[in-house]
Amino acid sequence: MSASSDLLWELTRQNSSFLVKRKTGGGVRLSRDPLNLRNVHSRKAIGVVPSEKGGISLLTKRKNGTTITTSYKPSKTSRKSYLHITNSTTKKNYRPDLRGDAIARASALVKSYRKPVKPTPEAQPRGAKAKKNAAAAAAADL
Amino acid sequence: MTSVPQIQVFSVEGKAGGELPLPDVFKAPIRSDIVQTVHAGMAKNKRQSYAVSVKAGHQTSAESWGTGRAVARIPRVSGGGTHRAGQAAFGNMCRSGRMFAPTKVWRRWHVKINLNQKRFATASAIAASASQPLVLSRGHRISSTPSIPLVVDSAALPDLAKTRAAVALLKAVGAYSDIVKVTKSKKLRAGKGKLRGRRHRQRRGPLVIYDPANDGKLLTKAFRNIPGVETCPVTALNLLQLAPGGHLGRFVIWSSHAFKALDSIYGTSTAPSSTKKDYSLPSAQVTNPDITRLINSSEIQTVLRAVKGGAKSKRAGGQKKNPLNNRQVLVRLNPYARGYAAAKLGQAKYKDGKPERAHVSFHDVLKSA
Repeated sequence: MSASSDLLWELTRQNSSFLVKRKTGGGVRLSRDPLNLRNVHSRKAIGVVPSEKGGISLLTKRKNGTTITTSYKPSKTSRKSYLHITNSTTKKNYRPDLRGDAIARASALVKSYRKPVKPTPEAQPRGAKAKKNAAAAAAADL
Repeated sequence: MTSVPQIQVFSVEGKAGGELPLPDVFKAPIRSDIVQTVHAGMAKNKRQSYAVSVKAGHQTSAESWGTGRAVARIPRVSGGGTHRAGQAAFGNMCRSGRMFAPTKVWRRWHVKINLNQKRFATASAIAASASQPLVLSRGHRISSTPSIPLVVDSAALPDLAKTRAAVALLKAVGAYSDIVKVTKSKKLRAGKGKLRGRRHRQRRGPLVIYDPANDGKLLTKAFRNIPGVETCPVTALNLLQLAPGGHLGRFVIWSSHAFKALDSIYGTSTAPSSTKKDYSLPSAQVTNPDITRLINSSEIQTVLRAVKGGAKSKRAGGQKKNPLNNRQVLVRLNPYARGYAAAKLGQAKYKDGKPERAHVSFHDVLKSA
């Protein structure tokens, strides 16, 4: 049974278990739907219409409404995970309109997995400064 | 018309076996506004009257002292020898006075709801319970449920007497995660309701709808101690259970007998109901609620005039591209750029160290002119 997405949006617009209403941010309306890529409660993004989530695991919807989760190993490059997403969704004609959002989310996830970069090594003085330092050290030894 | 959709029937062990045609109630229009008003009315019809005592605040012989005593003219308790004497009485602003507009038992507690509206709301709620997105948006956990609407074969239901068997059934059809949600949601109620037999509040789980004539009533005992699960005979469906809080999309588990009985109870698109007198199902005003499809239909597009002024977003002279960022534009300007990049000449290192510095005289000659 599939009702029209317009009807579903009208029914869930005001009240839904995924809806988060906040008075801050000008009465912002967000969505907790795992299928919602931007987490914004909106007609397009609502999980009742099929949408996908990027990153390490990709959620897609079957025709009958059940969700499938495809997991990808964390890849070295973020571009590889984008490729996974586009290959399994956009290139199969599954919600090509959400490609940008999916990649944006995947990008954010990959970024969050990244370990902190190495601390920058202390600067080695060169040239005149190095000579001066060496002279000072030698003077101190004496 | 199109063929009737077939709904899979699952055995008590959760195996798919056989199919049933979808009853026509599921095609009833989903009208949340009707469901909400009917639900609001029905929820009021169980209320019991309450009121304060008619005597409250008036059980004193207070009289006003009148003017001239430099106190307010509010009635005051007569007599002496006690603190109460001389205190103001009766008024709603007075300590131990009567309340403002004392509540009366003859308040309008109950609401009459038109029978047809009630039936419309029930049909609507049944239709909504078959929509997976609506059940999800009501908050049910149905990710492991094989199909919505979920129909369970009635064959083993008459003998389903033990709760253990009922739990096994729920687990088999992927409905148990909803029970887990209910169990976890149990919280102490805020306020006085705690003292009035409503100590805890919890979410609602699945609603099991059975056909008492064929399934028997034993299963109600099997299910009744599972948190959040409710049972309801298909002959007496209740909107308060089908759309709790007026929110559409209750997770319903149908017995196959109950599912089959829907066509005779609510009627079909062609036949009126056999149990409800002069009742036939409401039909949708709009057969195709897909707005995009309507707008883009050839019927509408042919009668629309062309867009005036053409597409506005097009840039007049084409967008200026930066050759430093856009390689194609760079190649158009400088065809050698491609070969230069391919040979990696830009990154090439000097073979024999850095070239020798020009003689000082070269610099002098250069600057002298």
